[in-house]
Amino acid sequence: MSRVRRKNRSVVWYLPPIFKGLLFTFKKMLTNLSGKNKMLTLNYPEEHYSYGPRFKGNHILTVKKDGSLRCTACMLCATNCPANCIKIIASEHDSPEVEKYPIAYEIDILRCVFCGFCEEACPVDAIRMGPEWQAAGLNGENFIYDIKYLSKRDSLKEGVLSRVDDKERNKAGI
Amino acid sequence: MSKKLVKCEINNQEMEVPEGTSIIEAFKKLDQPIAHYCWHPGLSVAGVCRLCMVDIEGIPKLQIACNTEIKEGMKISNQSEKVKEAVKWGLEFHLINHPLDCPICDQAGECELQEQYMHFGQYSPNMAERKVKKRKVVDLGSKIVLDTERCILCSRCVRFTDEVSKTQELGIFNRGDKSEIGIFKDKPLENEYAVNTVDICPVGALTSKDFRFRQRVWYLKTADSICTGCSTGCNIKIDYNEEGLFRVQPRYNKEVNGYWMCDKGREVYSLPNKEGRLLEAKVPSSYSFDKADSLSSSREARPSRTGGNPASSLKVLKKIKDLFVKKEDSGSALILTAQYTVEEYEDLVSFFIKYLGTQQDIYYWRNNPESFDDFDGLLLRGDKNPNTKGLMEVLTSQGAIHSWESLQNRLEQKEIKVLWVAGPENQKVYPDIKEKINTFESYCDNIIWWTAHPLPDSQKIWQVPTKTFFEKEGTFINQSGQAQKVKAIHQLVPSALSLSESVTLLKGEELKKPEPPFLVTPMKTNHFTYKKKVL
Repeated sequence: MSRVRRKNRSVVWYLPPIFKGLLFTFKKMLTNLSGKNKMLTLNYPEEHYSYGPRFKGNHILTVKKDGSLRCTACMLCATNCPANCIKIIASEHDSPEVEKYPIAYEIDILRCVFCGFCEEACPVDAIRMGPEWQAAGLNGENFIYDIKYLSKRDSLKEGVLSRVDDKERNKAGI
Repeated sequence: MSKKLVKCEINNQEMEVPEGTSIIEAFKKLDQPIAHYCWHPGLSVAGVCRLCMVDIEGIPKLQIACNTEIKEGMKISNQSEKVKEAVKWGLEFHLINHPLDCPICDQAGECELQEQYMHFGQYSPNMAERKVKKRKVVDLGSKIVLDTERCILCSRCVRFTDEVSKTQELGIFNRGDKSEIGIFKDKPLENEYAVNTVDICPVGALTSKDFRFRQRVWYLKTADSICTGCSTGCNIKIDYNEEGLFRVQPRYNKEVNGYWMCDKGREVYSLPNKEGRLLEAKVPSSYSFDKADSLSSSREARPSRTGGNPASSLKVLKKIKDLFVKKEDSGSALILTAQYTVEEYEDLVSFFIKYLGTQQDIYYWRNNPESFDDFDGLLLRGDKNPNTKGLMEVLTSQGAIHSWESLQNRLEQKEIKVLWVAGPENQKVYPDIKEKINTFESYCDNIIWWTAHPLPDSQKIWQVPTKTFFEKEGTFINQSGQAQKVKAIHQLVPSALSLSESVTLLKGEELKKPEPPFLVTPMKTNHFTYKKKVL
């Protein structure tokens, strides 16, 4: 092993910056002890940080005005999904105005990479990435989100209304 | 009498075609791209879509390629700006009332309108008027659903019912932008060839109830095969993925089926699917395995993820070999149905004659003898086996054709101790199967039955799972004597063996090492990650 011998004696001057750093740490400790409200960290999990509405967190399936699912089961999100975590089973709808609808819509959240491509691919604003970001669960089953969880979980109440409405589009002649 | 040949030039390529050829046929011969909807090679010329415009030297206006015959020395091109402009505006007119609901349309992915739109499309519609709303989800019968909004009135389906099936159920009603396809009152679209209209529909107006919404087409792979529904042996394309088969479509073969196939034949896609297949070999309920070689004791015999125990058929065949394969106390009889390939018959019959019995012990089980020779004049035949000719050839070459009555007699006199049955793959077309099983069981104690689909549990039948036409290689000989090959596409049931493989095992030989597992190419290439630099 070779040792580098520096001729320059000025290397000893590493000591002052160390004390400078320690001084900063102690200063912060004292200010935090005196004024708790100015603290930069959170006591997770008792305290949560809430992100803005544009945050790409857990998925939401939006609903129509009558409360039924907005999703048309076109499978563009599943096709576009790079992690292959969306599984949809389509079915014929009773009403002729609705071409088809999903009878099963499952997202394997453990495989999801939260890229937001599903949201981007959706032509009818049926899937969105919401501001929720905690996805802890106790066993494996909790990580496959089904229609009920995605559209009507407790935090969403009656569901999130989609921006695209068939009747309005019909009126506009689209 | 050969037709006179005429010379012409298409997109600067010289070619000779027989007199009377239309320009579009010449384009197809040269594999030159040409836009068209209403023209179909199997139907008459309608000339309604006005999309196959070509520029002919010496004629000031553009002409439609489908209804113009080639004359000596014609110079034709569809590369000019004039043609492209015409196609673009033609397409714009088609899209005036077409709802752009591609995401929920089942045709998306194989839609000719979509393809043309990608080539020639106007990306901002110039139409200020509102789209005309028409009927959606119209039930045309037990097989087909119509969406009149999506229809572009190419009239292919109407011409099909007029010219091919000759049943005339469909028609175009009303006029102008109100015109739509429809059926007459109390006359649903119920002919035996109805689903062909779905195949030829260039848009998603006609959809088959059986396939509707089950899978998006871009998730499916396509492979060529032969229909095993009847002795016509139509050439087919199979759409499948890892889960199984989803539909069957006709493939062009001039000699056999042309462009069409019957709706009965389309049901063959369900035969190889795992639901309803015999997933592992079954021993008679009266027979109990020794503990050492019971089906579930060893580690490799645990059911695989795909269902069924892959080693079970090897074990059961080994047991069968130990118990029944001995020439001395003859009393074996072989019953064959015409649903296997020629190669399998050759292997099984020669094995049987060598190890088990004589030519006199081989019988041919013929289904529905009353309607056996029926023919509807187009494709559908009464003989519901794909390989009757092939079986006959093998049996005659071995000198082994014997009437069913002699088997009946021998069964009743209890001469037969072991009955080997190569049972039907498609049990639906053997209406007498239950009755036959009962007869066999009442006169014979040991029955070895090769079958792809499970039989009712029995005290005497050993069931060996067989491969279906989707999973094995071989030859089918159709009613006109044409030998057609099928390819092994994808094995869905791991324990299934072809008759030839079973014979190899019964001889006591090892199976050839299985080929490396079917390479599952990724079903989709994600555009956004795949073509990084393009986007």
